[in-house]
Amino acid sequence: MKKQKIILSIFLSAILIIATLSVYAEVGPTYAIVHCTVVPVSGPPVENGVIIIRNGLIEAVGVFGGITIPDDAEVIEAGEMYAYPGLISAHTNLLLEPARPPSQTQGEASSSQQPDEKPGWQKAELMAFESLRIKKTTIEDLYKAGITTILVAPEQNIFAGQSVVLNLRGESKEAMVLKQPFGLHVNFVTARGEYPSSLMGTMALLRQSFLDTEHYRLYKEQFTKSPSGLKRPEYNPFLENLLPYVINKKPIIFNCANIEDIKRAIRLTQEFKLNSYISGANEAWRVVDWIKKAQLPLLVSLDTRPPNMSKYVRQGDALKKEAEESIYPANAANLYKDGVKFALTSLGLSKSADIRKNLRTVIKAGFPEEEVLKAMTLYPAEYLGIKNLVGSLEPGKIANVVLTTGKIFDEKTVVQKIFVDGMFFEVKQPSKKAEPTSLDISGKWKAVVDSSMGAMDMTIEFIQDGSNITGSFTSEMGKWDITDGVLSGNELTFSISANIMGESMAMEFSGTVDEESLEGDISVQGENAKLKATKIPDGGVEENSL
Amino acid sequence: MKNKCFVLIVCLCLLGLINVSYGQDLLIKNGTILTVTQGEIPNGDILIVNGVIKQIGRDIQAPEGIQIVDATGNFIIPGIIDSHSHLALSGINEGTVAITSEVDMRDVLNAEDTGILTALSGGVTMIHTMHGSANPIAGENIVLKLKWGKTSEDLIVHEAYRTLKFALGENPKRSRASGTNTTPRYPQTRMGVNAIIRREFNKAKNYMEQWDRYEKLKAMKKPPKNLIPPRKDLRLEPLAAMLRGEIVARCHAYQADEMIEFINLSKEFGFTIACFEHAWEGYKIAKEIVANNIGISVFADSWAYKVEASEGIAYNAGFCANQGVLVSINSDSGERIRRLFNDAAKTMKYGGLSENEALRLITINPAIQLGVDDIVGSLEVGKHGDIAIFHEHPLSVYTRCEMTIIEGDIYFDRALYLKEREEMEKKEKETAKKKKGGGQ
Repeated sequence: MKKQKIILSIFLSAILIIATLSVYAEVGPTYAIVHCTVVPVSGPPVENGVIIIRNGLIEAVGVFGGITIPDDAEVIEAGEMYAYPGLISAHTNLLLEPARPPSQTQGEASSSQQPDEKPGWQKAELMAFESLRIKKTTIEDLYKAGITTILVAPEQNIFAGQSVVLNLRGESKEAMVLKQPFGLHVNFVTARGEYPSSLMGTMALLRQSFLDTEHYRLYKEQFTKSPSGLKRPEYNPFLENLLPYVINKKPIIFNCANIEDIKRAIRLTQEFKLNSYISGANEAWRVVDWIKKAQLPLLVSLDTRPPNMSKYVRQGDALKKEAEESIYPANAANLYKDGVKFALTSLGLSKSADIRKNLRTVIKAGFPEEEVLKAMTLYPAEYLGIKNLVGSLEPGKIANVVLTTGKIFDEKTVVQKIFVDGMFFEVKQPSKKAEPTSLDISGKWKAVVDSSMGAMDMTIEFIQDGSNITGSFTSEMGKWDITDGVLSGNELTFSISANIMGESMAMEFSGTVDEESLEGDISVQGENAKLKATKIPDGGVEENSL
Repeated sequence: MKNKCFVLIVCLCLLGLINVSYGQDLLIKNGTILTVTQGEIPNGDILIVNGVIKQIGRDIQAPEGIQIVDATGNFIIPGIIDSHSHLALSGINEGTVAITSEVDMRDVLNAEDTGILTALSGGVTMIHTMHGSANPIAGENIVLKLKWGKTSEDLIVHEAYRTLKFALGENPKRSRASGTNTTPRYPQTRMGVNAIIRREFNKAKNYMEQWDRYEKLKAMKKPPKNLIPPRKDLRLEPLAAMLRGEIVARCHAYQADEMIEFINLSKEFGFTIACFEHAWEGYKIAKEIVANNIGISVFADSWAYKVEASEGIAYNAGFCANQGVLVSINSDSGERIRRLFNDAAKTMKYGGLSENEALRLITINPAIQLGVDDIVGSLEVGKHGDIAIFHEHPLSVYTRCEMTIIEGDIYFDRALYLKEREEMEKKEKETAKKKKGGGQ
């Protein structure tokens, strides 16, 4: 009996020791990255450099030979490579649990349904942190773009919720948090089927909410000081959530899809003396005077597609094309020329390939490479209030280091190794080439998409060129282009650049296909829908063409 | 002394700035000028300096370097004003609830609405762009000048009345919340519409009194302890402003009975009705409308498109104008807006108005309704250089607008536009060709 106890206690302490060890293991061993070109961003590049990483932090940065390599360090030979600080995307909607569809009773909206007391727009209490779903593939994909730090914000509704800043070390969400909560996110959107269903209603609602917060605070304060003659104030959970932002001036991030949104955000900021950030803002150059005067932190999205209400897309195809190809990609360059400081974010882009491609587009449009680098390191670190932790390769900062085969934004450059919090990750290289396929899927397909919103009929038309697939997607919501399609064996993937009620949205399809049928998933901003399609025989008559 | 000098200099600088940014210089030569308020001038010139009409007459000496528009053989009229429009907005109705006085069209201006170009091509220089008619009490409207290419803020006419949209009759009583929510919305009858408006004004009265009480207490030498301002209610603020006479009502109404009811409400609470919108049965109560100093803003014809318009008549505008009602012809449409001059001409046939009386319906009358008749609406020295030039008499069925000018700036030039369009079409074709070529 006694023996058993002893064994048990030995066993328990062994577990304890292992557990303790694992805590140390988490920060990773000591590394010495040698012989690389170090680009600290905060200072000039160092040829033949060394970076020492210990306990998750950068211990030293310098020239090889000028710094002693610690005995316990694992040496990473990085000759021919470049070392950059991990890039920061100061606004994403990634890694979030898909929003639950509105509770729908089957059949008629029955009386048994609990009336939802809280209006749909009111999600101020929603914490991105609580909804995080750590997807390894997403993080690995971000590594490919050299991104190690992101802000994750809830995406939908007028008061969308509160964001969190993560260092993408890829374990538990708790381990990744740099700032929680960071800010309150506000969208200039409308509610569906309830107040406010118009943008002017949204503006009124925002003003009334801010006013109410001020009044709530005033009343509460007064009551606490001296209650005589006053009714005890009721607790208001919604306004409680706004207090830190409206009264204590924590950041409110306004998502601005066009110039009017930017001006709306600036007006609200002035009316209520808010600590506002402007995000999205891919028309910012058009209101540069407002931007300069307001001096708000500006988070410019790399998604350079023109908004639907833009005058450039409503006056003929020629101008629209110009807008897409050159006018809008020059936003960052124009802001820079006007002396505006800003961070670049990946908002609206979910794939590293797109992020890298758009970074090159922005550079090609005239935004200097050194500035792009700052706009993805130093400036976002400053705006997110973490500049003492990340954003450059300096002793004392968190060891977020990206090792690349060349200059980071060059087309051929590949991110090979990455350190996050001093933990080492080998970056998976782009997958093999498409398998040759014997299938011919070109032609029209009749498709049904089944999502939480119900079933929808569509017609797909594929154009096949070897394993490359393009084409279009036609539904009652319009005609959308299919891009980047790859047919590999019987596996089919493609993207759809959709336009839903004026909002651009990227959808991804992946599934399997044979001569006659097609089946797979479409993902839209984290939500999945099933797509099934059958081939319309060539020469067959489309139903809706009658 | 030094300080005063400084202030003076700053003021002068500001004045200079305002002048500089305010309009252009332009000389329009040798056209038939229809001033609307001061008769007709054949072979006349108009000189605009800094956006304001400086001189009207014959053989005006051209100041050096000024841009000249030759209007020989053309007709020059004041820029057309549409008293009831929904252009240049992102969203028109907040239809989910019946009372939405908190919304303001100023928040959703869209200066890039290509409808502005369409309107300019019909000689329109100013619009009153409004909330829709889904709600008994809707939102605050705004008056804009159609300065295509300028920012939304540049379009706003600050001199105009503040107006709040109301709606009676079929539209507000049949509105439902949009989207998935299809339950009927109170009110469902005309009496309901009337009752809900009264209820809101009672609330507003109460609200106003609450604030007055607070301000009074605050102003006391020893304000009471624990004095807290009332909650600011954006829905009641505009109604309170109406009770204080700072905002006037623009009320969508078709039938005579509902207009009379609304007049009674205005007397009950003491607010001002600037104008009834559409007012198809205005001819039945022209006397009452005149007696209460209310305008009407109407269509020229095309009545009977729904039950409450079934007793509309083409003579409505002309008859009411002859009775002394302040009548304007409106478009309420992004398409009809470009031929308001045709609609005005109809009142000559139906109602027997004179040319000048017909022109008034789309120029000075809407200007009076919007409270901007001291700056626009007719061609007079001192008013803004907002002008439309037609190749024939503007009330001829064969006429077309050649040029539209706002504050001396040419915003529409038909000849130039046609040339640009041709070039654009050429470019489009090239793009299409390239696209095709790339696909092969």
